[in-house]
This record gives sequence, C-alpha cells and structure tokens, in this order.
Amino acid sequence: MSTTKASRIGEELWKTRVDKINAELVTLTYGTIVAQLCQDYDSDYNEVNKQLDKMGYNIGMRLIEDFLAKSNVGRCANFRETADMIAKVGFKIFLNISPTVTNWTSDNNQFSLIFEENPLADFVELPDDGRAQDELWFSNIFCGVLRGALEMVQMQIEAHFVSDVLRGDDTTEMRVSLVRYIEDEMPPEEE
Amino acid sequence: MVVYSFYIFDRHAECIYKRRWLPRPTSISGKASRPTSEIPSSSNGVPPVFGQSDRTTDDDAKLIFGTVFSLRNMVRKLGGEDDSFVSYNTSQYKLHYYETPTNIKFVMLTDVKSPSMRVALQQIYINLFVEYGVLDSYPR
Repeated sequence: MSTTKASRIGEELWKTRVDKINAELVTLTYGTIVAQLCQDYDSDYNEVNKQLDKMGYNIGMRLIEDFLAKSNVGRCANFRETADMIAKVGFKIFLNISPTVTNWTSDNNQFSLIFEENPLADFVELPDDGRAQDELWFSNIFCGVLRGALEMVQMQIEAHFVSDVLRGDDTTEMRVSLVRYIEDEMPPEEE
Repeated sequence: MVVYSFYIFDRHAECIYKRRWLPRPTSISGKASRPTSEIPSSSNGVPPVFGQSDRTTDDDAKLIFGTVFSLRNMVRKLGGEDDSFVSYNTSQYKLHYYETPTNIKFVMLTDVKSPSMRVALQQIYINLFVEYGVLDSYPR
C-alpha cells in the first residue's frame, strides 16, 4: 500500500468515522496528567517517562482494536507499510495529525516520526527546575501507545523520543525500531 | 438459517466466549445435523454412538481452535500470507471463521445452507466486541 493511499484512507476515516472532541480539552487533560505524575513522583522525570510509557502501552493495546474496527485494514506487508499506516492513518484518525516518516535505516527496521504539530504539547512549558529540560519527555505516552498497539499485531518494537521542541530542539522526533515479529501463541499443551 | 454455536478465542488461544443453541447431542456431527426432534428424548443419558459422551464443551472449544488454527496455517502456506480461511462445509454443518489482525478468532457453526457469515462475524467484532468489550472495561 502506497503512502498516498494511506493518506487517503486516513482522510476519509477522519471525515466519516471518527467522533471528535475539543482539541484543547485533550491538551489540557493530558497536561494535567503529566503535571500530576511529576508531583506524584517528586519530579523524578525518568520515572514519569516510564509511567507515561506504561499508560500509553495499556491504551495502545485497546486502541489497536478500535483502529482496526474503524479502518478495516488488513495486515501490513512490511514494516515500511506499518510506518505509513501509523503516521497517515493511526495518528490521523485519533489526533488529526500526520507525522512525517523518515530516516529509515538500510535494513528497513528503524524509522523516525517527525511531529510538525503535536496537540499534546500546545501551551506547554516544561518545569523550570533545570532538569526537566534534559530528562522529561513530555509526550512519552506516544511511545507506549505504539508499543502496545503493535504488540497486539505481532510486532515487538522499541520507541523513544530523541528530540522535542519543548526542550528547545528544532524538531520533535521519535525513533521507532522493530525488534522482532512475534509468533502466534499456541494453546497450552494438554497434560 | 440455523446457528448451532459460536466461539470467540483471544490472542492467547483461550476460548473467551462460547455459546451453543442446541441441547447437547452425542457427537459433533449429531450436534450440527439433527434438530432435537429427530433424536428421541430418551437419547439423553443413553450411551452415545461414538463413545464421546464425556467430551465437555471445553473439549469442543479446544477441538475447534485446533481445527481453525491448523486450517488457517495451511491456507496461508498454500495461498500466501494474504490468503485467509473463510469457512468449510461438511455434510452436516458449516463452519464460518473470521480472524482480526490482532489474532482474535470468531467461529460460528451453522447449517449447511446458510450464506457466508463473514460480514456478520466482522460486524460482531466491530460493533459489539470492540464497542462493548475492548473500549469498555476489558478485564485486564
């Protein structure tokens, strides 16, 4: 499936199949969650990153079913197709954004998502304590969502942010690597 | 059209839902083929034809899983990764199969004359399973 076809599917679904809510409500709710986590973990930002990833993972595990039910797409033929599907259909129907897929490694197992826009990060300023700028990945929930969602369709991946405009970087970039394809589970052996 | 039974298996190969709409006859073929009226009521408790009376519905679910799992793998080997197994017929019943990319399997047994249930199974996934199962309070 080509990139343009994926974009078209994304557009079409966004227009016809998706319930919309106010974007600022999402932004503010997410911001509140992160702020609360920072408080709960005493500004241990590594722990906050970890918790966000975990929350995302649990969301992703279910979100994939919603994604499949809405989009009715089949299995992707390769990881490149998967990347397009995530960027052009997944992010499109749930957040109305399409991050750019780029920086492929030659073995086609690793790519970057560049977020030109990020509804989670609107109006956000990181805490001014000299550490958050270096340690907190504000939108880390995305990494967990991708990990959870792809695990459900037999792909084990690793995802992490490498830069974030909130930290003063030029771009917001997430690195996604395919670890392996997961084998189908067999029923437990009869005793 | 008659639906005899319906099963859902999750990605861990576990039967998470099963439902049968006929009283338990004595064998798979009996279950699928004969309405109760053809089986004398005395057959309840009478030793079954194939000596399988102690097979529980749990065993049925396991048998069905094994069957669709093997068929689906065989179909993919012969027809390529994109091919999918849809249904099979016996002289007694028809088994309909739908699998999501997340490996959730829906299986429905109907009478032989029923049309393809693929769309129905898909709709069960989209409108019921996802809507009220996954997006509500999925128990894990």
